[in-house]
Amino acid sequence: MSEEMATIKDMPNNDYFLSGHGACPGCGVAIAVKNIMRILGPDTTVYVPASCLIVFSALYPTSAFRNPFLFTAFENTGAVITGIKAAQRRRGVQGNVVGFAGDGGTFDIGLQAMSGAAERGEDVLYVCLDNEAYMNTGIQRSGATPFGAWTTTSPVGKVRQGKRQMKKDIMDIVIANQPAYAATLSIAHFSDFIKKVDKAKRMKGFRFLHVLTPCVPGWKTESIRSVELARLAVETGMWTLYEWEFGEARSTYRPKEMRPVTDYLMPQGRFRHMSKDDLNLLQRWLCEKWYYHYGHEVEQPVCHINHEEKPMHFDGDPLHGV
Amino acid sequence: MAAQAFAEAAVLSGHHAQAFPYFGAERRGAPVRAFARVDDAKITIKSQIYEPDLVVILDESLLEIDPVVDGLKAEGRAVVNTMKGPEELDLGVSVDCAAVDASIIALETIKAPIVNTAILGALARMTDLVTIEAVKQAISDRFGEKLGPQAAAANSLAAELAYQRAKVGRCKGERPIVQRKVWLPDWEKVPPGVVLAQDSVEGVAIGPGSSLTNFTGTWRTVTPRYLKEKCIRCLRCWFCCPEGCIKRQPDDYEKWDYRYCKGCGICSNVCPVQAIVMEKGVKEW
Repeated sequence: MSEEMATIKDMPNNDYFLSGHGACPGCGVAIAVKNIMRILGPDTTVYVPASCLIVFSALYPTSAFRNPFLFTAFENTGAVITGIKAAQRRRGVQGNVVGFAGDGGTFDIGLQAMSGAAERGEDVLYVCLDNEAYMNTGIQRSGATPFGAWTTTSPVGKVRQGKRQMKKDIMDIVIANQPAYAATLSIAHFSDFIKKVDKAKRMKGFRFLHVLTPCVPGWKTESIRSVELARLAVETGMWTLYEWEFGEARSTYRPKEMRPVTDYLMPQGRFRHMSKDDLNLLQRWLCEKWYYHYGHEVEQPVCHINHEEKPMHFDGDPLHGV
Repeated sequence: MAAQAFAEAAVLSGHHAQAFPYFGAERRGAPVRAFARVDDAKITIKSQIYEPDLVVILDESLLEIDPVVDGLKAEGRAVVNTMKGPEELDLGVSVDCAAVDASIIALETIKAPIVNTAILGALARMTDLVTIEAVKQAISDRFGEKLGPQAAAANSLAAELAYQRAKVGRCKGERPIVQRKVWLPDWEKVPPGVVLAQDSVEGVAIGPGSSLTNFTGTWRTVTPRYLKEKCIRCLRCWFCCPEGCIKRQPDDYEKWDYRYCKGCGICSNVCPVQAIVMEKGVKEW
């Protein structure tokens, strides 16, 4: 087998997710899928359920994947990749089977099929591309939408401001099924990303990768900031990078000091309305989340619960956050 | 949204109107279509418009790839977002035409290359169905409700400037109208469960990797410029380009494939040594 990959330089230069797809400029999903496919290589069968990815990568009758590519319904990613793997076993075909589902297709609609495949320990790779709402159908809230975020189904008004629930911890649900490997990825932490995908590629059994993929129209931000936002999410603790293997979680990146959550929220129009109470609630939840993930064994980065006041002001730009 | 604002302006001017978008996937920068129909009597027809009296073209580069003036009546009119004057324009049919540089107006007023409100001002100049006051009122109503009063004011100003700056003339009709490839395999050729192999049928590429025939480079408004002498070969831009249009060379320097670049600017943002700068306009180096 080829050498293990550790940095960008070790990545193969062949693209299997090609140019000419119809994603919005600055799409985080496209960045994640393109690099995962570079690492997985040619012996891979791809399955995509209903999501942005199917719409922009496979505009009938063209396809942006150079690999065998399959599409059926929204809710059955876990079941379909199980079936593809069974067919491969039967016919003696070697290779990885990967399912790219969105957050809606994993957290909500596809949960039972994903959970079933994980529990059976199928030999497949499941990638959840988390853009934190149903972006393809026009930004509806999902289980992955973070606290306070605006979506069309968690609107901002006098009574309620954005989503009132915290983000569902899908990694916990996956880990409860005892998979072979589970990890969270960020498109802004390159070496970490490459190592985890490469590790998952070499393993057998159910492997789950959870990628944060910023969405330019859905998060109401600028296309130039996609990767920057993924980095800020990790630096503020909104996204934690860890992997789960042999029954224990291991932190793979620990920021020295957690930056105030407003650094991450400010560039995004979907959080523009958040009140000071809501900000403090979110910040407190973030500071406690660390212990929830890692216990007290990994020292928590310094986290300021009552951070200095930074109002989410309107900066005078008429297209602020659009 | 522009079609809706136009229909609203027509209603304010005392007509009946309807507006609706083309049903399909809408992505930022992707070619999209919308329709508006105006009459003095109640409108009962519900179909798309195939033979328009007036065509509004928000991006001149669409003329190269799409039959935008297809079906335009001989006595029809056009409004085009362009840097050229109306006499220099070549739409493929010779019609009365208003030319306006709506992109510049949009950048001046709303600080973003979103031209749909500016072009409405030029549209008011071209047709007597709506007055510029009605257009501004409709924009204020529609945008003010969604984006706040400041956005409404900026967008109304864009329409006003476009109304003043639009140049009316008669355009040329020399260009052959590009016909869209109509063939798609139907369900009889490809029933559910059948595999599309890598192939090309009647000029349309199908199957694995066929998206390469779809050149997305026309979407961009800014273009990355690569300064090779500053590059430290960290490959971050190569990793972060969503389009895969940054090609890694054997010596780890980069090369851009501008046919696909959508101008998102991520490469310039992740570059640690500012070896990539974004320049306005669709360019190539």
